[in-house]
Amino acid sequence: MSARKAATAAVAMIGLVALAGCAGGGGSADGDVSMTFWHNSTTGDGKAYWADAVEAFEAENEGVSIEVQSIQNEDMDGRLQTAVNSGDMPDIFMARGGGKLAAVVNAGAVKDLSDLISDDVRTDYGDAVFSAFTIDGATYGLPVSVLPGGIFYSQDLFADAGVTETPATMDELVDTVGALESTGVEPIALGAMDAWPAAHWYYFFALRECGQDVMESIASTLDFSDPCWLAAGEDLAAFADEDPYNTGFLTTSAQQGAGSSAGLLANHQAAMELMGGWNVGVIASLTPDEEPLADLGWFPFPSVEGGDGAPTAMMGGVDGYGCSKDSPSACEDFLNFIASPEWQERYAVSWNAIPASASAQTAVTDPALQPLIEAYNDADYVVVWLDTLLGQNIGNALNTAVVELLSGNGTPESIVETVETAATRG
Amino acid sequence: MASTLPVAPRAETPVPGRDAQASVPAPASRPVRPRRGRPDWRKRAEITLLAGPALVVFVFFVIVPVLMAAYYGFFRWQGFGPPTEFVGLQNYLTIFQDSTFRDAVGHNMLIVVASLALQGPLAILFALLLNQRIRGRSLIRVLIFVPYVISEVVVGTGWSLMLQDVGAVNDLLGKLGLEWLQQSWIADPAIALGTLMVIITWKYIGFAVILMLAGLQSIPDELSEAAAIDGASFWQIQRHITLPLLGPTIRIWAFLSIIGSLQLFDLVNIVWGQFVSATAGTSTMATYMYLNGHMAGSYGYGNAVAVVLFVISLIIALIYQRFVLRRDTAGAITGGKEKRR
Repeated sequence: MSARKAATAAVAMIGLVALAGCAGGGGSADGDVSMTFWHNSTTGDGKAYWADAVEAFEAENEGVSIEVQSIQNEDMDGRLQTAVNSGDMPDIFMARGGGKLAAVVNAGAVKDLSDLISDDVRTDYGDAVFSAFTIDGATYGLPVSVLPGGIFYSQDLFADAGVTETPATMDELVDTVGALESTGVEPIALGAMDAWPAAHWYYFFALRECGQDVMESIASTLDFSDPCWLAAGEDLAAFADEDPYNTGFLTTSAQQGAGSSAGLLANHQAAMELMGGWNVGVIASLTPDEEPLADLGWFPFPSVEGGDGAPTAMMGGVDGYGCSKDSPSACEDFLNFIASPEWQERYAVSWNAIPASASAQTAVTDPALQPLIEAYNDADYVVVWLDTLLGQNIGNALNTAVVELLSGNGTPESIVETVETAATRG
Repeated sequence: MASTLPVAPRAETPVPGRDAQASVPAPASRPVRPRRGRPDWRKRAEITLLAGPALVVFVFFVIVPVLMAAYYGFFRWQGFGPPTEFVGLQNYLTIFQDSTFRDAVGHNMLIVVASLALQGPLAILFALLLNQRIRGRSLIRVLIFVPYVISEVVVGTGWSLMLQDVGAVNDLLGKLGLEWLQQSWIADPAIALGTLMVIITWKYIGFAVILMLAGLQSIPDELSEAAAIDGASFWQIQRHITLPLLGPTIRIWAFLSIIGSLQLFDLVNIVWGQFVSATAGTSTMATYMYLNGHMAGSYGYGNAVAVVLFVISLIIALIYQRFVLRRDTAGAITGGKEKRR
């Protein structure tokens, strides 16, 4: 008996020692600092940008080394969660603010950057852009890019259909859909397989139907009793009845390959797509010659009659980076470094996106992004994507409920109900 | 089992091991005792050494996670830090009140039944044919087994590309002048589950055929030869000799198929993505767990779903073992009873 116990214990010990060996952290010797850095760019110019930025920072700061890991965007949330729990969190991690960041902050894993972001950066950026990363008055992340949403369209396909003015109201959008349909192209591309692109349509109807105060308090109250949430669903159902979306949108993905919604736009198979600012870069990677789509244009989501939301209000995301609680001070140094005008301008060029630093936005050359920047700077207020704002659990339920509605299985009422029951799960 | 073999009557001839043990130690019992103790100790050490690592792995990677899942299932937990918000059975109440989950269970049950009904007869038929001496037999065997070897991701991606509304299948039908057959194969909830069954059958029939073929090979030719001499037709031989003797193989295959169908996840998750399988009517308990636990970041709830999935699978497996597999596993699992008999 005792022999068996001893042997079992010995085996267990060996196992534990082996496990402990895996968890060893990268300690710092003789003042050298090493950090890990997670970003979501796995290919091309974006990945090269981060490699260059890290190299330049290491050259400027003797003794600091940064280990870069690029992680597939869809894996990011899950990997970060595991890393936080295992105590092996990356020093510099990607964040998009809202409820998702709040969950990590509430776990006590994120460094408060309120006093660590340099005054120069604050001046360059302006205050507004930090709001997505502000929780209870403290700043937990540094934005690198703003990604407001709206409708991207092909100017050539609009011209072929005889549409000269971009639609400013829902009625005009319906007319445009009809005109495009008669020329044989798909009016609107929709990647509903990924759920969030379909949900964008609901978000924007909600943005137009609900007033600013409702939108800005919803994350904390989670109270969907305001009739505007139901009205947004009814608007969407009525619009979907016009059959504006591409054939088989339910199983169309958003960004993978020529058959995805971005791919349909890139190959002139579809005329419009409701998307965020990253779409210019995504479409460019899917055109036949992998160059930016020459006739790509952009207009804001049309106004909705009788809605409480400001017609100029925008919805969009902010990509940024945070530091883990125990990261060395080199972490905030690195964030301040990439927030400098030089690296923000390079970001704009590498990513085909709008940099978060207002002073670097002049570096944006892509014509499709110009109206986007104007609209963003003229917006009365900007709301973060609802799924980011509401956090993973409710955001997820909302997204799938919108897909249900578009597929004909759900109703405007069921969207509100699903969101309310999701609140009881998480 | 062994007692039914014709060897039994000849038991008087000395069977080395057992008889020797029984008769030899009797006269010289004293010097044997210490010896008996030592092999016993050595045997224990051997068992510990050989089974120990496997046991440790099993306990830490199967038993402990199952218990942890049961524990987490009682909490509302986002997955960050230790769970603190105890909610009792609330998660389980929510699961059973959620019509999406009940739909998923229904889909699982349909997949179980349809897998058995489609793959079973087809596999037996293929195996019977491929057991004959026909031209190109090896090639056909390989071809039938190929889909089983290909990874689920490749299969799922390939089928989903072909079955898109503007994909290869509809295009081919159009070119053949069969426009009326064109369907929204994976997006239309009325037929999506049927499409899934076609993909599953295509993917897993090779495994069933190989099992059945192996079963057929173990049936001695003499039996069918004797039946043929007695005037039995080909189909009579299959019906009355081959099928009954293939029984154990069929029952084991059905068991594996049922378990696989209950836990189906990868194909659905790849063809329909993470979000639309419930809408398309192909969600399973596992995809429900992934979407509402992992994707939603509600890990407490997800663990509760995992426990429900585990219990449902366990109950079905136990019932099947008790009532269907009893004859086949009599020696291996119910060893104690066998001895008493």
